[in-house]
Amino acid sequence: MTELKLNLGPQHPSTHGVLRLILELEGEKILSCEPDIGYLHRGMEKMAEKLSYIQYLPTVDRIDYLAGFFYSELFCRTVEKALEIELSDRVRAIRVMMLELNRIASHLLWTGAFLMDLGAVSPFFYAFREREMILKYFEKITGQRMMNNYFVFGGVRRDVFDLDDVDEFLKILTPKLKDYENLITENPIFLQRTKGKGVLEPELALNNSITGPNLRASGVGIDFRKNDSLYCGFYHEPVVLKGKDAWARYKARIEEMRMSGCIVRQALEYLRKDEPLKQKLVNPLKMRLPAGEFLSEIEAPRGLARCYIKSIGEDKPYRLKWRTGSYYAVNLLKKLLKGAYLNDAIAIAGSLDIILPEVDK
Amino acid sequence: MNITEFLKVFEDVAIFEDKIILKRNLIETVIYLRDNFGYNVLKEITAVENDDTSVELNYHLYSSTDDEDLVLSINVSNETESLSHIFDSASADENEIYDMFGIHFIGNEDLKRLYMAEGWVGHPLRKEYQDDDERLDWND
Repeated sequence: MTELKLNLGPQHPSTHGVLRLILELEGEKILSCEPDIGYLHRGMEKMAEKLSYIQYLPTVDRIDYLAGFFYSELFCRTVEKALEIELSDRVRAIRVMMLELNRIASHLLWTGAFLMDLGAVSPFFYAFREREMILKYFEKITGQRMMNNYFVFGGVRRDVFDLDDVDEFLKILTPKLKDYENLITENPIFLQRTKGKGVLEPELALNNSITGPNLRASGVGIDFRKNDSLYCGFYHEPVVLKGKDAWARYKARIEEMRMSGCIVRQALEYLRKDEPLKQKLVNPLKMRLPAGEFLSEIEAPRGLARCYIKSIGEDKPYRLKWRTGSYYAVNLLKKLLKGAYLNDAIAIAGSLDIILPEVDK
Repeated sequence: MNITEFLKVFEDVAIFEDKIILKRNLIETVIYLRDNFGYNVLKEITAVENDDTSVELNYHLYSSTDDEDLVLSINVSNETESLSHIFDSASADENEIYDMFGIHFIGNEDLKRLYMAEGWVGHPLRKEYQDDDERLDWND
């Protein structure tokens, strides 16, 4: 049989941005996969060395535009760690609520886009309808629908209000998730496209540094929210599934949305107490980080995210490094697509929830 | 992890803050830590350039069973051994460091320009890197 080299992407609609996969095929079987990335490289790490901390802050949301709050939080957290700032309980509750709402929005978009990849168009509209409620609330509070730039060093830009909107969203979340599940989970076409496809063994996942829902769908219960001081006092349990395949990764995200809804509810309960917002903000223009190395991490929707800052006592970082979940998921495609069939390639790549700005940084 | 037991096996090791600083035997140390202490995940490799243009590589190991972190640190000039045959994820990190710092990892066959174009001159995260490439003139 003749071998064929197929170029998938970077403008393919289901590559979620600008992922290019070079596939070697024998018939419909994939012999090897070589991801080609860098189409969205903006030099986030080099940029950090030239901008002061407050100048760099608005750009970090762009690392993952679907989950901007997480990178904002991560950067603020690292700086706060260096300056030894403690957050008050209300600030923590606001941040947790925003982060978890953002996680739901991100997973909703993934659910819609993944089903669209598989050829089902209507879930996309349903998912966007619910996501719209979250984005509307973000717009009300932060002035932006995406890339909110809402967290600042030591707190948040302004207090939250109109909490009834969140309440209204939480009320519809559970029945809507049930709707999705009725529509998708046991759908025979969906099952055929995802069951047993792209099986990710836990050893392979750990060896490839895969984290987040992808890892938990393979039966490893690592969730970095567990030891996270921000989430201290909020009940949370990692969602662990045994399926290992694309279907399990879908199910893990649906269950995770439920869990996030539960955390938002707890945060909301706290915020309803109407305490005054106490925060110790630093003057960003006079801000200098003490010399040293600072590292912090957070469980982002696409796996573990880390920020590393080395400071030599100036108003700019000497070196800043991001660790993002999607980067390792793209690398995993080399292994996961080998031996699979071409018609499963999109389902497998889609199920890993890769987002390219996070890969290219 | 029992540090004293670890120090008995490996000489030439210093501990500074929360890092274990190695001078040699990186691969042996990583395999020893994986087999005896369960450090089975390499979270990331960070690279920082020192004042004398050598590069400090930090290997962030993680034990999935004990939920513990450990950092191994090593200074390299422009080439070092690759960990890609122990951790698949190391290959991705090493490729990024090769692209950004120009460090060759011996034993990693997949090294190529990752974010920068093929044939790009220089490695952007080096401190002496000049971003006056004429191909960027359209920026002005």
